[in-house]
Amino acid sequence: MKVFVFHLMPYADLDMGYKDKYRAAWVVLPNSYFDPKKGHDLYNRYLDELELAAELGFDGVSVNEHHQNAYGLMPSPVVMAAALTRRTKTCKIAILGNAFCLREHPLTLAEEHAMLDCITGGRLISGMVRGIGAEYYSMGANPAFSHARFQEAHDLVVQAWTKPGPFAFEGKFYHFEYVNLWPRPYQQPHPPIWAPSTGSTETIEWAAHPLRRYVYLQAYSPVQSVVRYLNYYREAAQRMYGYTASSEQIGWSAPMYIAETDEQARKEAGPHIEALFNRLLRLPFEMMFPPGYLSAKSLANMRSHKRSVTGQEHTVDSLIEAGIFLCGSPDTVRKQLTDAHRLLGFQNLLCLLQFATLPRDLTEKNIRLFAREVLPALQQLTDKEYTGMETQAAE
Amino acid sequence: MPTDSDIDVRGCKIHVRRGGHGDPLLFLHGAQGLSGWEPVLAALAESFDVIAPDHPGFGQSAIADGVDDVGDLSLFYFDVLEALGVSSLHVVGHCLGGWIAMEMAIRSTARMKTLTLVASAGLRLEGVPRADMFICNQDDLVQLLFAGNDATSWQQVWHASPEWEEIYDRNRFAAARFSWQPRLCNPKLARWLHRIDVPTHIVWGEHDKVIPPAYAAGLKDRIAGATMTMVPACGHLPHVEQPGQVAAVASQFIQRGAP
Repeated sequence: MKVFVFHLMPYADLDMGYKDKYRAAWVVLPNSYFDPKKGHDLYNRYLDELELAAELGFDGVSVNEHHQNAYGLMPSPVVMAAALTRRTKTCKIAILGNAFCLREHPLTLAEEHAMLDCITGGRLISGMVRGIGAEYYSMGANPAFSHARFQEAHDLVVQAWTKPGPFAFEGKFYHFEYVNLWPRPYQQPHPPIWAPSTGSTETIEWAAHPLRRYVYLQAYSPVQSVVRYLNYYREAAQRMYGYTASSEQIGWSAPMYIAETDEQARKEAGPHIEALFNRLLRLPFEMMFPPGYLSAKSLANMRSHKRSVTGQEHTVDSLIEAGIFLCGSPDTVRKQLTDAHRLLGFQNLLCLLQFATLPRDLTEKNIRLFAREVLPALQQLTDKEYTGMETQAAE
Repeated sequence: MPTDSDIDVRGCKIHVRRGGHGDPLLFLHGAQGLSGWEPVLAALAESFDVIAPDHPGFGQSAIADGVDDVGDLSLFYFDVLEALGVSSLHVVGHCLGGWIAMEMAIRSTARMKTLTLVASAGLRLEGVPRADMFICNQDDLVQLLFAGNDATSWQQVWHASPEWEEIYDRNRFAAARFSWQPRLCNPKLARWLHRIDVPTHIVWGEHDKVIPPAYAAGLKDRIAGATMTMVPACGHLPHVEQPGQVAAVASQFIQRGAP
């Protein structure tokens, strides 16, 4: 298994009293809440944390994109990835993901990814996402065309990476007389593409398509949903496309915290994981899912699933109970992950080891304990330990 | 009694409600869609042959392939008129529907005898922001749409059955498709409003919080000869909050203004 440390780079210094005045930590939360001096400290601290993870033997470090919010301060993950290229030597750098389709000009991102891939000698993983619903408010993109634009932006970027230029691209949303990328990506035919999602049926089926076979990464979900969606990927590959998906095509991403004992872990992480779900991830349904962002079918699926993630006040106990948050002693978390791997066979794991207000010292302890006590066991796991699909796929 | 039927417009199924006697009157609904044969339609039907379609993607109409913005919609409606065989008509448009009507009128008023714009979207006035109907939940939306009049019965329709709930979601989806970006306006529309050369009347709720009354004056200034009625105690849905008054104002204007 390949194990990555994933960072959201939250605005940990947020005045949580905001919640009495504003509906969300996104879009409508005034940026007067952001102090650039604190931002300076946080960015540098977070980069230190990812660099530490790289030194301690994780297979990769990972960043992502969000706009106009306190939950994650990376409107451009490319900037963070660039900062990591020269401070890490061998690990993968995964952008999970960039929302190419939110751009009027996705080729700028295609160029930047190609640059990162060349600088690192092929250590880049390119995640492609639609962006969460709130981003369609922030970036002024029309959610009603989100799926179609995502696919067209993807086609444009992959062609730009792989097809000899110059050539013309004539799409519905994007029109370029000259597509001729300098530089071309280091990896051939292009950097691996991953599709992170919280469970859109369309995205799973799209990623599993035999022309793509992209890594599908399930994020932020109760463990039953993780089971459902990851198995749905294998199902879709088998039933719709007639091939057996490899476990390398499957990934899981979750917040995790390890301390000396279960009790201590729960106590140390409690307020911070609760701040993540109850404060930073506070998003009304209309912001999370603007009209058209989801198909009618996905909207119905999501109404039940997503309410369970963002629709109520969580406690550390309810998050652990639901399997959204993995927390405990090294033995506990190692067992949870190896058990889940036996059931689901994911060969990629993204560990969110800093979340919300979790301070520097506890984050570093978390990274070090994970690296020493859990990481070696996980890195040895292969497809041999996977026992096969045991549950019914997503409806 | 009004009839409900589906017509075929170059391969796209369009749902049309039609009732009443008199000159044909095309009612173009707003971003919220139609909750049935609404009281304003019944009142207008006393004087006109009222034709009230669901726009493509709204209500019970299919999505029209390639009809992606309000300019497309306005051209699509010329196809609708051809399919209906209506060669001369009055147009009443609310919100998004008023925007469609103006986009039609700047292209051609050959079939249009009069134009009535009710709380119309479409125009952009610098420095006068329009509210965002998409970001609020249903309760906040009602606060935004209504000026304090009882909204219960209007709201209840959308929860009357799973079918109506589905239509509510479809209407939001379609409204986003046509008016998300830029929100509820075409920044270039003002450039062409001089082309509207039919009698035009503007009807607005005094307390419209979605498209503030400054827009009523803005349209009056830009459409030659336009007249205006402000409706007191009324928000963004004058035809729902004050259906009798809106129908009366529109009827009087049309009868007075029609050549």
